[in-house]
Amino acid sequence: MDASTVQLLPLVIVAGMFALLIMSGLRTRSRQASDYGFSGGYSGRIGIGAAIASNWMSAASFMGLAGMFYLKGYYAMAFVVGWTGGYVLLLVLMASQIRRFGKYTAPDFVGFRYESAAARTLVACISIMITVIYSVAQFRGMALLISWLFGIAYIPAVVLAASLVVSLVVVSGTMGVARNQKLQYFVLIVAFILPLMLLTRKLGYFWLLPQFGYGAAITDLQTQFGFGWSEPFSSVSLFHWLALCFTLMFGTAGLPHVLSRFYMVPGIRDARWGVVWGLFFIALIYWSAPAYGVLGRLFEARGGIPFSADPAHADMVILSAVSYGGLPLWVIGLLVAGGMSAAFSTVANLLLNGSASFSYDIYSRLIRPTASENDKVYATKAFFLILAALVMLLTLKPWGMIAEIAALAFALAGNTIFPAFLLGIWWDRANAPGVITGMICGVLITFLPFLVGDALPMVSQLLPATSSAFIGAPVVVAIMIVVSLLTAAPSENIRRFLARDVHDCTEE
Amino acid sequence: MADHDRKSGLSIFKPRGTSMCNEVRVIKLVLAGWLISILGFQAVVYLLELNYSELLLSDLTFFNLPIHFWLTGQFLPLWFIILCAVFNFWMDRHSLQSLDGSLRFTVHSADREGEQ
Repeated sequence: MDASTVQLLPLVIVAGMFALLIMSGLRTRSRQASDYGFSGGYSGRIGIGAAIASNWMSAASFMGLAGMFYLKGYYAMAFVVGWTGGYVLLLVLMASQIRRFGKYTAPDFVGFRYESAAARTLVACISIMITVIYSVAQFRGMALLISWLFGIAYIPAVVLAASLVVSLVVVSGTMGVARNQKLQYFVLIVAFILPLMLLTRKLGYFWLLPQFGYGAAITDLQTQFGFGWSEPFSSVSLFHWLALCFTLMFGTAGLPHVLSRFYMVPGIRDARWGVVWGLFFIALIYWSAPAYGVLGRLFEARGGIPFSADPAHADMVILSAVSYGGLPLWVIGLLVAGGMSAAFSTVANLLLNGSASFSYDIYSRLIRPTASENDKVYATKAFFLILAALVMLLTLKPWGMIAEIAALAFALAGNTIFPAFLLGIWWDRANAPGVITGMICGVLITFLPFLVGDALPMVSQLLPATSSAFIGAPVVVAIMIVVSLLTAAPSENIRRFLARDVHDCTEE
Repeated sequence: MADHDRKSGLSIFKPRGTSMCNEVRVIKLVLAGWLISILGFQAVVYLLELNYSELLLSDLTFFNLPIHFWLTGQFLPLWFIILCAVFNFWMDRHSLQSLDGSLRFTVHSADREGEQ
């Protein structure tokens, strides 16, 4: 899949897609400070679902998951289950309750529920950390695609990706990013599934539902080349599979940009049904992603191409599968446009949310309390540039596969924000000292494998970097409970609000 | 303080009021279905691999897919969608009943006030 020349036709398709984004953004450009954080109109529950799915679809889903299947086989199923099962937690434990709180951001929610400016600031800082880690995964995806498109090396491609993100956000603004979400989901799903249908048709498999059709490729791999995926836990233990799966689920229910979808929906029922539609739209991609990994392997085996364990090669397997399959160049262009669109919209939203969080939760509260609306807008823009530069610098080092980097962000969210929201909604005795202590411990647990993993291998075994929330989240919940019980209860006002307005205990 | 906490304590394990009790009951059922399906399927796959290895897992297929791929990669996401839809249908019905009950209560109160 190496290319050393500019891929003209795919480049034109990608440029066309981005031109569409810019034009849409210019039409709805706004200079309101509030627009730099959250935006997007909704029309109906299916529209909300498409917006949730589009908001969710990133380079990790579009490229990373197929790469994980290519490289690690059944282990990658933990991503499918984790990234879909988390929505069950989100729906039954949080979606409608968050909507009832009527707060607009994760720091808003925590600051109000725990009546603590310190807890609010801590959540803002953690949200920014999550933004940075998650954005590194997106930048990596964009850089790999740009590297292929322009035939340039990885490092210049990272710089080009960062420049593209900054310039497009400056030109089109967040309204342009967010308003395209329904259209964007349509583009993504077509760009992902159409090439797969063409591939399975070319191979003579059941192409109308390639999500099932690729099963024949698994059989072919086994019968013709002796390659089998019939020992799912031979290389990865059941514990590690479950640890990754539950970490991704806890993280899904704790990611600030996912939670933020429920603050703005018109009603509680819309919030709930939006999750169901969103999950369906997300599942359409996840039912299909393994096929790319399997077909990539099959084409390589048929072509006598040796298997490569290079993470960059694996992350590009959706392109190599289509390329080895002999599909026309415009099909590859469509896939690249889809991948770029997924990565760009995710990273733009994340960076804008992160910079808004800095401006409203840190800058105007701690650094400059007298800041005007204009000052906040300038702070948002300045921090956006700083964040983009930081993410770019971090992406220069290849930390791992796209999905693995994203999983670290999920682990951090699962160890910190998920327990804070869970107890904040479902236990009226949870208080500020408890949540602050718990979240600090959550941050430590997340980064413990990096800090002491070499000296204490047991830590890396029990708390793998990408899967630490399986043990970490319950530990953090326990810490929050113990510290809350040892300190003063929250005010009667907030407990009454929780009982009456959030849980509808009107009978008392 | 302890007495106060005991009286006003509210948690998922100690719901208050009919509405919250009903909601928590259905949440527990959905979460049980969620947890058992995830752990159960992986336990089945693990035990099949442990006891029969390739003999069974490569032979058992559903719609062309090896059974462990189908159960985990196809069925579980579908099962999650079903669980979410069931939860929403229940919540919609429950919220309509609650609204109906509260409206009747309001009408009765007004009647009594009128009578007095």
